[in-house]
Amino acid sequence: MTVSAVIGREGRPTPRLKQFYFAHERALLGTLVIVLFLIFWEGAERGWWADALRPFIGPAADRLRVKPIFISSPSRILSAAYRMFFVTGEIWTDLKWSALQYALGLLLAIAVGVPLGLAAGWYRRLSYAVEPFLAGLNATPQVAFLPLIIVWVGTGLAAKVLIIFLLAVLPMAISAQSAVRTTDVRLMTMAKSCSATEWHVFKTVILPSATPYLLAGLRLAIGRGMIGIVVGEIFGSANGIGAMINQAGSRFQTDRVFVGVLVLVAAGLMLSELVRRIESRVETWRPLL
Amino acid sequence: MDRALDVRQFYLAHERSIIGAGTLIAALAIWELVARAGLIDPLFIAAPSRIARAGYTLMATGEIWPDLRVSGSEFLLGYVLAAIVGIPIGLATGWYRRLSFLLGPFVDTLNAVPRLTLMPLIVIWFGIGIWSKVVVVFLGAVIPILIACHSGVRTNEARFIKVARSFGASQLKIFSSIILPGTVPFIFTGLKYGAGRALLGVVVGELYAATAGIGHMIGEAGNTFQTDVMFFGILLFTATGLLTVGLLNLCERRFETWRPKVGAAA
Repeated sequence: MTVSAVIGREGRPTPRLKQFYFAHERALLGTLVIVLFLIFWEGAERGWWADALRPFIGPAADRLRVKPIFISSPSRILSAAYRMFFVTGEIWTDLKWSALQYALGLLLAIAVGVPLGLAAGWYRRLSYAVEPFLAGLNATPQVAFLPLIIVWVGTGLAAKVLIIFLLAVLPMAISAQSAVRTTDVRLMTMAKSCSATEWHVFKTVILPSATPYLLAGLRLAIGRGMIGIVVGEIFGSANGIGAMINQAGSRFQTDRVFVGVLVLVAAGLMLSELVRRIESRVETWRPLL
Repeated sequence: MDRALDVRQFYLAHERSIIGAGTLIAALAIWELVARAGLIDPLFIAAPSRIARAGYTLMATGEIWPDLRVSGSEFLLGYVLAAIVGIPIGLATGWYRRLSFLLGPFVDTLNAVPRLTLMPLIVIWFGIGIWSKVVVVFLGAVIPILIACHSGVRTNEARFIKVARSFGASQLKIFSSIILPGTVPFIFTGLKYGAGRALLGVVVGELYAATAGIGHMIGEAGNTFQTDVMFFGILLFTATGLLTVGLLNLCERRFETWRPKVGAAA
């Protein structure tokens, strides 16, 4: 592929520019479509396309001008973000509140999911006992529990922590279970024939080999938990990114909705990157295949 | 043969289902007893028998059918649309490199966004009727389906393709006889994952803004503290999830009969 791209069909070396294009095709094409998309978006809201087409199709062109409440525009979103972060600073309280809920929910999910999953992977009978519950819970969209949770604990902090916990605990438990299941049997036999105790086997064989699975589960859980931030605040709540998004939505402040969504995306990407860093740190002992 | 031994053998052969069913029944029994003894306010936790009765009443009076129809059509329309759009585009981006460069940024961005957060926008665009839910179901399901199909094509056996090429097979032939069969497990993985996302979309969409549907029913029951109706609604979602994945597994087995079994499936 690369050879034919660089040398060209007639065997003559291709020009510099073309070479550069082929070497960075992916990034160039990707940036191009994103930029085109943003320009198209900005233009739709500012009426560039309507103005450009009016001489040709007459008043029908006005339909191409989209009201800002529908799509907002990249520049409006940027200025709204600037205002919310640096002028009024209102978003920081929401961020703090959501971060607290998210951290508590995720920690609870780890604290419950990992031991449960590890135990279910280790004790066969326990796994038989909990399997129907895990399968049922996994097939249910966990958000459906939200009205029930609100009846139980009200609409305060606890409800949000619980819904984030419910969303995040299953990926943790399931990945912990499969982590134990996929441990190298040879290592286990080896440890056992050296008369290692169960605890010792668990600590020195199971746990290290389970770590990548646990981190993969954590990565899934991070994404699922993000849903909880927004959904948990559907039912009346004053603080938090989700509440901010919902309020902005019901007031047709589309730019603020986009700011909220983008903040969540940024947070999700940062957390995933953090997990990736931890992964490469933890995995240094493993021989490269 | 010793009778006791027989029982023991039967137990060992079916240990998994016996323990599973046993715990489930035990949990239900404890739940029922706790609720009946009045240890917990029935407002908080309805006994299984009351949930069953609530379900029966809802079905018998026919109250639930409009909600079921609305939720069912939202789920089916959004999900089928996601499959119709996601599978071909995923296959195409896996096959044509340039197309994947063009669409990749959008797919990656949408994948990073928890799509349910777009719900307020979708309501502004499509109203609170059935279509806003169809869109949120579609958005939830289409990305995992698309990504699974894309990576399915990418992980095809390069050897097979090389062999086919050196025998002068056309692009179409390679696609239909190597790529497509090799991608089937990925397509089904994507479809199963997408089904979960689609159900989540139905629930969140209906809780957020709706006038009918099972999610709406659960929300209303929550406002009026009808815990039994809430549990019944949740169970309906569980049943739908299990049913969809079961059906997809059946279909997958049909398509996969030719494949030699490996590992645990052997």
